[in-house]
Amino acid sequence: MPRVMRTVWQALLLILGVTFVSFLLMVWFGPDQTYTLIGKNASAEQIAELRHELGYDRPFLARYADFLVDLSTLDLGASNSSGERVSRLLARSTPITLALMLPGFLLGNLLGVALGLAAAQRRGQWTDRLISGLSVVGMSISFLVIIIALQVLLSTPYGLNLFPVRGWQVSDLPSYLLYVTVPTIALLLVTLGYNTRFYRAVFVEEIGKDHIRTAQAFGTAPAVILWKHVLKNSLVPIITRVLFSIPLVVISGSLLIETYFGVPGIGKVTFEAITNGDQPVLKAVVALTAVAFVLIQLAADILYRLVDPRLA
Amino acid sequence: MAADQTLWKRLRSDPSGVAGLVIVALFLLLALGVWFGIIGQDWAAAAGGRWEPAGPRFWFGTNVLGQDIFERSVYSVRTAFEIGLVVAILSTLLGAILGALAGWYAHGWVDGTVLWLKGVLDSIPFYLFVAAVAYALQGEAWAMHLAMIATFWTGTGRLVRAEVMKIRTREFILSARSIGLPDALILVRHVLPNTLHILLVQGSLTFIAAIKTEVILSFLGLGIQHGVSWGLMLAESTQEVLAGQFNNFLAASLMLFALLMGFNLLADALQDALDPRQVAR
Repeated sequence: MPRVMRTVWQALLLILGVTFVSFLLMVWFGPDQTYTLIGKNASAEQIAELRHELGYDRPFLARYADFLVDLSTLDLGASNSSGERVSRLLARSTPITLALMLPGFLLGNLLGVALGLAAAQRRGQWTDRLISGLSVVGMSISFLVIIIALQVLLSTPYGLNLFPVRGWQVSDLPSYLLYVTVPTIALLLVTLGYNTRFYRAVFVEEIGKDHIRTAQAFGTAPAVILWKHVLKNSLVPIITRVLFSIPLVVISGSLLIETYFGVPGIGKVTFEAITNGDQPVLKAVVALTAVAFVLIQLAADILYRLVDPRLA
Repeated sequence: MAADQTLWKRLRSDPSGVAGLVIVALFLLLALGVWFGIIGQDWAAAAGGRWEPAGPRFWFGTNVLGQDIFERSVYSVRTAFEIGLVVAILSTLLGAILGALAGWYAHGWVDGTVLWLKGVLDSIPFYLFVAAVAYALQGEAWAMHLAMIATFWTGTGRLVRAEVMKIRTREFILSARSIGLPDALILVRHVLPNTLHILLVQGSLTFIAAIKTEVILSFLGLGIQHGVSWGLMLAESTQEVLAGQFNNFLAASLMLFALLMGFNLLADALQDALDPRQVAR
């Protein structure tokens, strides 16, 4: 089998896996929806009819197949609590989450690369020790602590009181900046320690390789070595890192940030679904984000092979 | 054993490693004190008034319900160690077993299955996975632990797999096979002991991850159901800080920071001390 075909096949198996786990946890083992949905004093026939509609009388594999069909046709049902179509709910909240999370996510990686490079180039000197020491400090502070501290320092009368305490009333650029700044700084601070440490290790390894020493011996300008030899050769681990931190930083992070700051993105939607036991929303979010992430990995994998001849 | 002596010597010559070890040991003492009922027992009693300042009676003041913040933050050390130890030990063990099997039978169907499982678990965003597990188990107090153990093994598994793939071509393994020892015995007696350096470092890193995760999950209402933890204290404090009451927040976040810092320093020192490339030099 050609390599690309195998990659696609493996992605398909992963998609089957993540959807199966979602199905097992939230549909098969999940609590019975009948009495959440049906009104009081329902007759036995009404109950039986609803159970039939929900597919409770069907065998395991048939229900999993139904689940897959619903997902692939984006027929996700309606929220139990608000009655809104889940597909509409997701279409409405996803752009907000991206607008909220992207600046901090990108800045956290860019600054991490810059600091990691600065430390790796001065390996063992005080700059390196300072940066590495501060990364460990950053890694030891909880996300929640950072959020609370920043809110107090930047958004309350006990600190600078520059930004709104919470909420998301965004209509133009100034209002966007007003609401996005504190979450962005929080996301930046919580990821910076881990990113810096990771990128430093990548660069230290690359700088230690023979071809860098050879380039130096040939008198290649340091800037050329930096861009052409160190950064370019480290692109694969950098891209991998960025992609693989999406589920943790963007998706899980939005759950915390949006809940805390009251931003109506996908994280808050998910949080409310968790608190209310809103099964249609919860299973759509879990299964779709996992599938989306598998597809991102697949795209990256194919991209690597196109860009880097060593992997083809 | 010679290897243990080198580890101890290397650890002792690393000042930040010693600092980490001392911090972790102090916290362990606190946790033992709570376990044996010596300290931190009055964490639930509303002994004082609302938001009393720090003083000789309440060292860190009281929270909105008049509970002693010092007692609560000390009792939370026990909670943190319970979560950290349970999750670290079980998920590292799981990672060791699955990683060793995958590495030993590399490129076979066992390996393929383990890698597939790891890929599946790594692809579901973690907090969503916890939410799904909590949903399936309907408020079961162990849902959080279970979700962490089920997902945190993948990092350990990947490292152990790579290491076992290297070990299995070594001569002492070949000779063990050639005298007809069964695979299971070779794995347990000769392969897994050689991955101990990975397990020790991964165990400490998992401990850190578990404690940090508990804080966020408890805030989201998916974490600790009974008792008190730094995460629950921080969740309480989110309302209090807006009223200008910082004692709860400061106590929980500083204790949490100190323990995490200690464990991070210790994990780094262990990594340096156990790195086989350094031993070889």
